[in-house]
Amino acid sequence: MALEVLNLEHVPATHRIYAAFFRDVNNSDFLHAQLLARNPDFDYAFIDASSVISRRHLESAIFNALVTIVDGTLLSATPHSEVVLSMSPSNNISEAYRRWGISLKTKDLIVVKVAIPPSADPTSTTQPAPQAPEEIWAHLSEAVKGTPVALSDEEISKATDWQKLRKYYALNSVPMLAKVESDEGKRKEMERLAIMRMALRGL
Amino acid sequence: MTTTNTKTKKKRHIALGCEGSANKLGVGVIAHDAETGEATVLSNVRHTFVSPPGTGFLPKDTARHHRAYFVRVAKQALSDAGVSISEIDCICYTKGPGMGAPLTSVAAGARTLALLWGKELVGVNHCVGHIEMGRAITGASNPVVLYVSGGNTQVIAYAEQRYRIFGEALDIAVGNCLDRFARALEISNDPAPGYNIEQLAKKGGRILVDLPYAVKGMDCSFSGILTRAEEVVVQMKAGKKGPDGEAITPADMCFSLQETVFAMLVEITERAMAHVGSNQVLIVGGVGSNVRLQEMMGSMAAERGGSVYATDERFCIDNGIMIAHAGLLAYETGFRTPLEESTCTQRFRTDEVFVKWRK
Amino acid sequence: MAATEEQQFPLPKILTYPASAPPSLIAQGAEGRLYKTTHLESGLPCALKFRPSKPYRHPILDARLTKARIAAEAKVLDKCYREGVPVPAVYALDAATGWMMIEWVEGRPVRQGINDWLGERPTEDAPAVEEDETPFVDLMKRIGEAVGNLHRTGVIHGDLTTSNMMLKPWAPSQSSTESGDKAKVVEGDVVLIDFGLATQSSSDEDRAVDLYVLERAFASTHPRAERLFDHVLESYKHAFKKAPSVLIKLEDVRMRGRKKSMLG
Repeated sequence: MALEVLNLEHVPATHRIYAAFFRDVNNSDFLHAQLLARNPDFDYAFIDASSVISRRHLESAIFNALVTIVDGTLLSATPHSEVVLSMSPSNNISEAYRRWGISLKTKDLIVVKVAIPPSADPTSTTQPAPQAPEEIWAHLSEAVKGTPVALSDEEISKATDWQKLRKYYALNSVPMLAKVESDEGKRKEMERLAIMRMALRGL
Repeated sequence: MTTTNTKTKKKRHIALGCEGSANKLGVGVIAHDAETGEATVLSNVRHTFVSPPGTGFLPKDTARHHRAYFVRVAKQALSDAGVSISEIDCICYTKGPGMGAPLTSVAAGARTLALLWGKELVGVNHCVGHIEMGRAITGASNPVVLYVSGGNTQVIAYAEQRYRIFGEALDIAVGNCLDRFARALEISNDPAPGYNIEQLAKKGGRILVDLPYAVKGMDCSFSGILTRAEEVVVQMKAGKKGPDGEAITPADMCFSLQETVFAMLVEITERAMAHVGSNQVLIVGGVGSNVRLQEMMGSMAAERGGSVYATDERFCIDNGIMIAHAGLLAYETGFRTPLEESTCTQRFRTDEVFVKWRK
Repeated sequence: MAATEEQQFPLPKILTYPASAPPSLIAQGAEGRLYKTTHLESGLPCALKFRPSKPYRHPILDARLTKARIAAEAKVLDKCYREGVPVPAVYALDAATGWMMIEWVEGRPVRQGINDWLGERPTEDAPAVEEDETPFVDLMKRIGEAVGNLHRTGVIHGDLTTSNMMLKPWAPSQSSTESGDKAKVVEGDVVLIDFGLATQSSSDEDRAVDLYVLERAFASTHPRAERLFDHVLESYKHAFKKAPSVLIKLEDVRMRGRKKSMLG
């Protein structure tokens, strides 16, 4: 099973986080349509992996979303839309979906599932009981037509589109990057700068 | 209190103190036990110059008031104390800081008494007077002191023979801010504008009007808040509504101003306490008699595992007894103010005084 | 200041959820508390700065101040970090509940490094052996440069002391070998920390006051090294274009400071 459990620090034990990474997805139009139709069977955060730098980058967004979920201060409609929004440095929800959400052209897809027990989510009235990871995976592996791969920095980096990310996180003329010599070091710093911008979203 | 007077070795030292740095004229008599140093208040008489609502007290009028009442107040203090002139060791007076004309009027009165009775003079720093009186009354041994009045806003802690100023208002004093705000609202100055703001604030609390909050490290600033509060008063008179859709009232304004400026004072005090590692705080000065300020300070001190010490209006508000007390402490260490040096000064920083009487 | 009885303070809610190791209280000041904990993974240490709600404050004012201060500090750090001023990176924050997770800066406070260096010096009256002060002077220069870069960015720290600067260890290759262990105590990149009182300003006056605070703190913390503080100012002078005029302003600030004879 290529569904990973993300055990992030400082997340209530009641909240479970699962994620999977599919490459060469060829039914993103179908998945996108399910999202638009608000099909309750597709209650996931679908993230275009070309807008993701690393596992840590992704985890930061998920953690930030979890903070608002636990606080009950969601800015968007659902926990999963909050994960997509948390990738963004701005509060513009439709822009966040355009940049980080699944699109018709998405080739590499990261799927995040935040499973919250009904009792822990007072805002939801229709939330079904949390699914078992096997169930989630059974559904995902059926629904997503692509190659499951490990959610590792190495795999993610194959999908990353730096040109887009430089624009999204305003990384093009950052003085501090000029001080970093190695490409590896630059990538590491860009990851941090992106995480910082996400943390400061809306301030 | 024993009133018997023995002609043998002096059992106590007695001082008469004269205060008039602002609109209160005060004369008080204090006794210190020669052995233990314990202070006993023998008398504390005060007469306040009250100006009409919407106005402040001007130096000229205030000085005239002090001159007119000096003899009456001094006589009353002496008779209340029940001591004979021969028992008095020294005459203490406020050297500063304060308003020039009222200060010099009272100094002239003190000099007259000293010459008339053949006593020595002791010039006293007004702020040190407040601090020493507060310590004596409350028993706070080494507190961080918040000194808040119409002319001063200081956070003070004692170190190496001086009362060091850790933080202060960078522009107007908090009491001045309150007084001027009272004028904008045309609240009565009787018995004091701050007192009337406090009473009115008790009827507020429905809303908190947004006012600037200006703390910079251990310093703070009140002029911007006053300006904004005055603007809102004008808007209020024109029928401005609060966040709940109801009209803003003078009570709302008093409440909001108090909550804001007192929070600033508590914050800078807490910072000084953290800095020097103290958990005692003593509030002195006229604004210190405000119960809401005492409450907020108490809540902060309790969180730090300490407590707040405050005095009531007899000692918080300017008075002669605090001048007598601080003056007598200095007198007992040998300090004297020769007649030719018995001047006044409008600016006299708390940390300029060499505090010889403390370890 | 010693962190008194950890149990006395309730943890911020975020730190009550499961983590690989319990958070440890590092420092407790008037405004807030600093914990060492982790961000996302057990292997990523971070500092969590928490500004607890103040019960003495009106709840509306309290919420407003807590939020504004976390936001202001985060913005200042972001600005500095992007400009290349050595400060901790921001990882995550929740302004409404008053916490912020930032990079854990390895190393020791500059204060400690300086004291260790001075600790090995002979006392002032002992005839000093001709000794190499270069490593110490280099540290002074790095401090001046760090503060200069900060000011160039338009940020005033508000509480510059040698306790609010860290010596982040160099990679082994950067470390000098010839000067031996003695030099090691003052080696490392100077990283500025604790921006709780920081403001954004580019005025000579504000910058000069910031320097004056550091100068005074330095003199009282390290009286024996006071004469070497000039190296801080000298290197500051070359850090940005307006630095020389800030140093002229510093003279005024010093004069005023003496008149006020304040402490703290």
